[in-house]
Amino acid sequence: MESIVSFAIALLVAPLFPGVINKVKAFVAGKQGPPLLMKYYTLVKLFRKGSVYSTSSSYIFKMGPTVSFAASIMVLLFIPMAGTGAVFSFYGDVIVLFYIMGIGRFFTIAAALDTASPFEGMGAAREAFFSTLAEATIFTVLIIFFRLNGSLSFADYFYGAQAISLAGPGGALLILVIVAMFMVLLTENSRVPVDDPQTHLELTMIHEVMILDHSGPDLALIELAAFYKLFFYCTFITHLLLPSSLAGGLENGLLFYCVLTVMYIAVGITESTMARFKMNLVPKYILTSFTLVFFAAILTMGFVQ
Amino acid sequence: MDTLFISLAVLLTGGVLPLLLHRQFKLMKAGAIFVTTVGCLIGLATLFPVLQDTGPPAFSLSWLHVLTLSCKIDSLSAFFLVPIFLICPLAALYGFHYLEKREESGRIAVNYCFFSLLLLSMVLVVCANSPITFALAWEIMSLSSFFLVVYEFQKKETRSAGYLYFVFAQAGAMCIFAAFGLIFSYTGSFSFDSIDQLPAQAKLVVFSLALIGFGSKAGIFPLHIWLPHAHPAAPSHISAIMSGVMIKMGIYGILRFYILLADTSLIFGQTILIAGMVSGILGVVYALGKHDIKRLLAYHSVENIGIILIGAGLGMIGVSTGSPVMAAFGFAGSLLHVLNHSIFKSLLFMGAGAVLQKTKTRHVDELGGLGKRMPITGKTFLIGSVSISGLPPFNGFISEFLIYFAAFHGLVSTGLTFILASLAIVSLAVIGGLAAACFTKVVGIVFLGEPRSARAARAVEVGWTMTAPMVFLAVLCLVIGVWPQPFVRLAFLGLRDIAAILPIQPGIEAELVGNLAFASRLFLALLAAITIFRKLLYIKKEVGAGPTWGCGFTQPTVRMQYTGTSYARSMVEFFQPFVKIRTVYSGIRKIFPGQTTYETRVNDIAEIGMHQYLVHPLVKILERLRWIQHGHIQLYIAYIVLTIVVLLLFI
Repeated sequence: MESIVSFAIALLVAPLFPGVINKVKAFVAGKQGPPLLMKYYTLVKLFRKGSVYSTSSSYIFKMGPTVSFAASIMVLLFIPMAGTGAVFSFYGDVIVLFYIMGIGRFFTIAAALDTASPFEGMGAAREAFFSTLAEATIFTVLIIFFRLNGSLSFADYFYGAQAISLAGPGGALLILVIVAMFMVLLTENSRVPVDDPQTHLELTMIHEVMILDHSGPDLALIELAAFYKLFFYCTFITHLLLPSSLAGGLENGLLFYCVLTVMYIAVGITESTMARFKMNLVPKYILTSFTLVFFAAILTMGFVQ
Repeated sequence: MDTLFISLAVLLTGGVLPLLLHRQFKLMKAGAIFVTTVGCLIGLATLFPVLQDTGPPAFSLSWLHVLTLSCKIDSLSAFFLVPIFLICPLAALYGFHYLEKREESGRIAVNYCFFSLLLLSMVLVVCANSPITFALAWEIMSLSSFFLVVYEFQKKETRSAGYLYFVFAQAGAMCIFAAFGLIFSYTGSFSFDSIDQLPAQAKLVVFSLALIGFGSKAGIFPLHIWLPHAHPAAPSHISAIMSGVMIKMGIYGILRFYILLADTSLIFGQTILIAGMVSGILGVVYALGKHDIKRLLAYHSVENIGIILIGAGLGMIGVSTGSPVMAAFGFAGSLLHVLNHSIFKSLLFMGAGAVLQKTKTRHVDELGGLGKRMPITGKTFLIGSVSISGLPPFNGFISEFLIYFAAFHGLVSTGLTFILASLAIVSLAVIGGLAAACFTKVVGIVFLGEPRSARAARAVEVGWTMTAPMVFLAVLCLVIGVWPQPFVRLAFLGLRDIAAILPIQPGIEAELVGNLAFASRLFLALLAAITIFRKLLYIKKEVGAGPTWGCGFTQPTVRMQYTGTSYARSMVEFFQPFVKIRTVYSGIRKIFPGQTTYETRVNDIAEIGMHQYLVHPLVKILERLRWIQHGHIQLYIAYIVLTIVVLLLFI
C-alpha cells in the first residue's frame, strides 16, 4: 500500500523537478526564469489541445507516445522510492526493465522516421547510436551490483538490509558508478553536454527533433514520459547516495526527495557550466563512462571475494 | 520411430508428386504444399512421445553390408525437429503465390522436389546416430540447398553466389569428415558411442575441425561469407528455410559433438563464447552497413548465431565450472533462441520476399511508405523486427533473458570466467541495442515515411498464401513472449538427455519464467490502458492533417528523407577498423559543377581477408599445376590407374 502511494506521489511530482533545473539555470544566468510549476501549465495546455498529423505518417506515429509513456510508467512501478519498496519486483526485473525502455525507444524512433522528415531521421539515428553505447555502461553497472549483493532486481538493490549504498561495503567502487551513471543520465535524457533541450536549431537536436511533429495530448504524453525517465535515473543515483539504514517512514521519504532535488540541481549546474559537445565527441564521452564502470567491475574481483 | 518414417515417406511423396504433376500448375503447387504439410504434421506428432518418455527410440539398418545406417531421436534431436517441422510447411505455403510464373512450371516442380529433399535430409541430420548416416544426410542437405539457391540460374549473380555456397558447404563438410576420420582412426568403429574414449588432444582436434565445419554452415564469423551472397540470390521462402532452419544444423552439430566428446575442459566453452561474441557484434554491425534488405537479414543471421553460441558457450563454461544453473540456463536459452530465431527470421525473410515481389528491388533506399500500401506485410514485419531486436513482450527477449541469467550466474567466479561472463553481458547489451537500431532502420526506411521511387509507390499487398504464414509466425512471436512457460519447458526438455548438465533445483525456471510472463502481460495491460486513455483525451478534439513540418523549408521532396545509408553511417564508422568503408567520390572541381557521383559501400573484412590471404596465394600456387589439366582423356585414365596402384601399395 505504502509503495503504491509512493508511486502515485512520484507520478504527480515528477514534472516539478525539471522546473527546478530551469530555475537553477536561470539563477546561474542571473535571470528570474519560468515559474517552478511551468511544466504543469504546459502539460495542461497540451492536454486541452487537439492535434495535427502529418499526411506522411501512419499508425506507428500515434503508437510512439503511448509505448514510450507505458514503458516509463512500467519502470517506475519496479523501482523503490522514498523509503518504500517497489510496487512489483522479482529476481531479474532489472534486465526486463532496461529492455522495456528499449521498446519505448524503438517506437519513438520509428515514429520519428514515420514523418518522412530528414531532420527527424537525423535525430533518430543519433538516439539509436548513443543509447546503444549507454546500454553497455548500464549493463556493466548491473554486473557490479550483482557482484556486490548478488541480486538482479531494483527492490533488492535499493531497499532492505542488503541495499547498495555509498556507506555500505564496496562503497568506494560506487563513486565510479555514480559518476558513470550521471553521465548516462545526461545522455539518456538528452541533457547538455549530449543534447540541448533548449536549442533552437533542429540540425543539432536529438530528442527534441524526433518529436517535432507531435502535438497536443500526444506531445504531452511524450513530455511526461521524458519526465518519468529523468525521475527514474535521478532516483537510481539518489539511492546510491543515500545510506540504507535510516529511521523508517516519513523522514526517509523527505530525505529521499531532498537528495533527489540535489540531483536535479546538479543537472542544472552541469547544464549552466558546460557547453554541449560536438556530435562526434559524444561516443567518446559515453565510452568514458563505460571505461569507468568496467574498471570498477574488474576491481570487484579484489574487493568482493 | 515408425511414425517418423511414415512422415518421411509422405514428405518424399510430396517431393516426387510435383515432378509428375508439373503440367497442372496450380494443382502441382497445392498438392506439394498439402502433402508436405501432412508430412510435417505427422512429424510433429511423433515428437510428443519422445519429449515425454525417457528412452530415446532408435533404429538401425545395414547398408552395403559394411556400413550401418542408424537413427536415434533423443531429446536434443527432438527439439531441433520442432523448427524443421514448424517452419517448412509455412515456407511451402508461402511459395504458392511467390512462385507464380506459369511458364516456369517445370523449374518450380524441381524446386519443390529439392525443397522436400532438403526437409528430409535435415530431419535425418538431427536423427543420425552414426558418422555414415550423418555424412550422407549432411551431403544431401548441402546439395539440395545448393540447387534451391540457384533457382534463378540465368542470373550471373545467382550462379556465383551458388558457387560460393557450394565451396563453403563442401569445404565445411571436408572438415567434418576429417573429424570423423580421426575418430575412426582412434576407435576403429563406425559409431558415435565410443567417441568419448578419445585421448584429450584428439578431442581438441576433433572439436576444432567440427567447429570449422559446422561453423561454416552456421555462419560463424569469419566463416559466414556465403550467407550474405546466397540468401539474396535464393527465392525468399528458401532463404527463410535456409536462414531459419538449415543453418541451425550447424549449431546442432556443434552441440552434438560437444555432447559426444563428453569433455568438460574450459577451452571448449571459452572458444564457443568468444566466437559467439565476435559473430554477434560484427554480424549486426555489417547488417547496419548493408542496404540490400535480404543481405542485411543474412547478416542478422550471423548475429543471431552469435547469440545462440554465447548461450551455448556460457552453458559449456557452466558445465566446466560446476555451476548447474549457469549450464542449464545457458543451454536452454541457446536452444530457445534457435526456435525463436527460426520463427522471426523466416517471418522477416517472407516479409522481405513480399516487398521484393511487389517492388522488384531489394535496396532499402529505393523503398518507403510500404506500411500503408502493404498493411499486413508491414505489421507482421514490425512484429518480427521488435522480436529480433530482443525486446519484450515478444519471443526474442525470453531467450535472451535466459542467456543473460546464465551470464550473471557466471559472475560469481573469478579470473577469466568472470571477465568472459562480463563481456558476454556487455556484448548482449550492445548487440541488442544495435539490432534495435538496425531494425528501426529497416522498418523506418522501408515501411514508413514516403515512397522513394515510383515502384514503391505502386506496391500492393501480396496474395493470401504469403500473408497467412507471416500472420501465423507473427502471432507465434507474441504468444511465446506472453505465454513463455510451455516453450521454456520445451527448451529444458531438449536438454534432458544431456548427461553433462546436472539437474537444477526444480522450480527455479518455472518461477522465473512466470515472472517474465507477468512482466510482459503487465506491460501489455499498461499499453492497452494508456491507448484507451489517449483515445479519451482525443474525444471532441480537433484533429487536423497537414504536411510534415519541414523546419521552415517549403519545398520538400521525398528524396530529402533520411536514407538507410545516412541513418547507419555514424554507427558503422564507429566500428572501424573492423569494418571497411570504401567511398568513391568524383568531387567538384569546376566553377560550374557538372555531374558528380558519390558511392559508398561497406566491405566485409572477412571477405577481404579470405581473398587476400587464402584464395589469392592458393590460386598462385595452383596456377603452376595447370599443366596437369591438359584435356587428354587417355592421360586422365592413366592418373586414375596410377592413383589406385599407389593406394594398393599402402594396404
